Amino acid sequence: MPDRLQQAITVLQTRFGSAAPRPAAPSCPVRPSGIPELDALTGIGGWPVGRLSLLAGPRGSGKRTLAQQSVAAASREGPVAYVDFPRRLDPEFLSCFDARLDQLLVVRPKSLREGMASIRVLARAGVDLICIDLPRTRSAGLDAELPHLLHRSAEAECTLLLVHDADADDAIRYYASLILSFERSAWVFRRDGDLEGLQVDATVVKNRLAPPGLRKQWIVPYPIP
Amino acid sequence: MTHGKSRDPEICCARTPHPSLVAAWLQAPVLRELPLILGGLAHERGSVTAASIEARAKGVVEGMSLNQAQQFAPDATFQPVDEEATARVRQSLLLTLHHFTPDVAAGDDPGCAFLRLDRLALRWPDRAPLLVAISRAIDAAIRVRPALGVASSMFVSKVAADRATAGAPITVEPEQTRAFLARLPIGVLPLDDDLREYLELLGLKTIGRLQAISRPAFRRQFGLKALDIYDLAMGTDRRRLRAWRPAVRIEASEPLEPPVDNTEALQFIARALAEQVSASLLSQGLGTRVVRITLNQESAPALVIEARFAYPVTTAGEIFDGIRPRLLRASITAPLERITLHAGRLEVAYVRQPGLLVRRYGFKESIADAVARLQEEYGPSLVQRAEVRSNAAPLADHRILWKPA
Repeated sequence: MPDRLQQAITVLQTRFGSAAPRPAAPSCPVRPSGIPELDALTGIGGWPVGRLSLLAGPRGSGKRTLAQQSVAAASREGPVAYVDFPRRLDPEFLSCFDARLDQLLVVRPKSLREGMASIRVLARAGVDLICIDLPRTRSAGLDAELPHLLHRSAEAECTLLLVHDADADDAIRYYASLILSFERSAWVFRRDGDLEGLQVDATVVKNRLAPPGLRKQWIVPYPIP
Repeated sequence: MTHGKSRDPEICCARTPHPSLVAAWLQAPVLRELPLILGGLAHERGSVTAASIEARAKGVVEGMSLNQAQQFAPDATFQPVDEEATARVRQSLLLTLHHFTPDVAAGDDPGCAFLRLDRLALRWPDRAPLLVAISRAIDAAIRVRPALGVASSMFVSKVAADRATAGAPITVEPEQTRAFLARLPIGVLPLDDDLREYLELLGLKTIGRLQAISRPAFRRQFGLKALDIYDLAMGTDRRRLRAWRPAVRIEASEPLEPPVDNTEALQFIARALAEQVSASLLSQGLGTRVVRITLNQESAPALVIEARFAYPVTTAGEIFDGIRPRLLRASITAPLERITLHAGRLEVAYVRQPGLLVRRYGFKESIADAVARLQEEYGPSLVQRAEVRSNAAPLADHRILWKPA
């Protein structure tokens, strides 16, 4: 952006506050997800740092596998946390993606309040990426917690991934900067009949940082233990 | 010779034998002048932690197995290391130097300690009497005459001390640093094996040969990481002296007569103790990350409660806000006879910056501290680490070992 234009925008922002013009796609640091197809789909080359990204879709659509693959990739670079509300994380599956388990903190909260407090504290302490696996049931009080959580993660430059099976609440849809919707189009089998992976259809439903609406289809392979 | 006129720092390295050897000599003075090997008894499996000069003369080196050491020095005395006495000797050495100046640092080598001399120019205008006084003070404290080396950086002063003897300190003036290092073998530099082998293959056996190479050429040949070594060879050591502080114990205690059995009174006394602790912290410019409360009960075991803080706190209000909810939650079963507040994890006091002005606060809690705080608040099972124990176990529960982070 030319300096004079930037100067004019700054003057307008000082004068009119939130009513002033702003860039349609603000620049944002990015954390590569470790999955080239997903990085291409987001339009910015990975997960936005300091913001919330939602992976939505029905069960068995591959969103949790992709989230865990991202967690594994991030664990190779620094500390990561997995907030496991449904208590079904399999660390062995993660280690098949070459995750560094010594860098992974698994948070198993008993309530939403506990979980959110843990995320805030860990984000501030310097955890690079936090994956939140929400329960299927509607989480009362989440809408009140999210603004604090996002403020903290933006301040600490922590990437938040939220995995949700059910239709996401309006609050989550509002606060998420990136919403990816996944659907399974087919199971993929090897010649010997073993399951190799699944073919996912991914759509960018919402994107505050790049044009939304991109679609992509690729095969998510299951790791061979 | 006067000092303090040049702008270069004057760093003195005081080198004594390994503190575990000194501790052994203090306990049994007859062992002086005899070959002494520390690390364990001769028949035990283990390695040599420290060996006296007499044992070294027979070929014993640190890290060697005890069996092998016995073969080299069959008449040597073998002893296990007394860790507590060793720590006491080290503390004593540093404390002795701390009486001269607060600019004291512990070296990586356990027998070494550093102190800055250039800020003592007013009290000790001449360097020679100061070095004699340091040597005498160390001798009085741990019964060992140190070897002293003085130079403008930690590395060169350490090298000088390694070459000095107890009665004859070596002083390397800043302008003589390169010449002093030039005649030494490259082995005095902290080289890794690869670089050492590479330098030797190229025939660079002394630091002087290495100094003859230009910095850009050295960087091209050995890479960016090796430049630190090059700088050391040229006498430039960018490490700063990290000041050692003597241990400080800050606590406040109050006997309760008659014993207290209601929470209102307990809070009132805790508040008063928090103010005492805060006053002690403030007077030393310190903050605490952990406050430990000990509640002595009349006819029941004492309760110990810990309150952890995300950043070092100093004020009475912050301390009391941290301990109050834990006091109220404590399962007190008998009237209290005494309450003690102990401030642990002391650090330099911070001033919290307003979040509006500064993107992050002026401190950062480590992940380990954050996890400890969460576990203290919500239980140890909240944050866990997983370890894949065995891939062969048929049940998932048997394959994964969950443990509190």
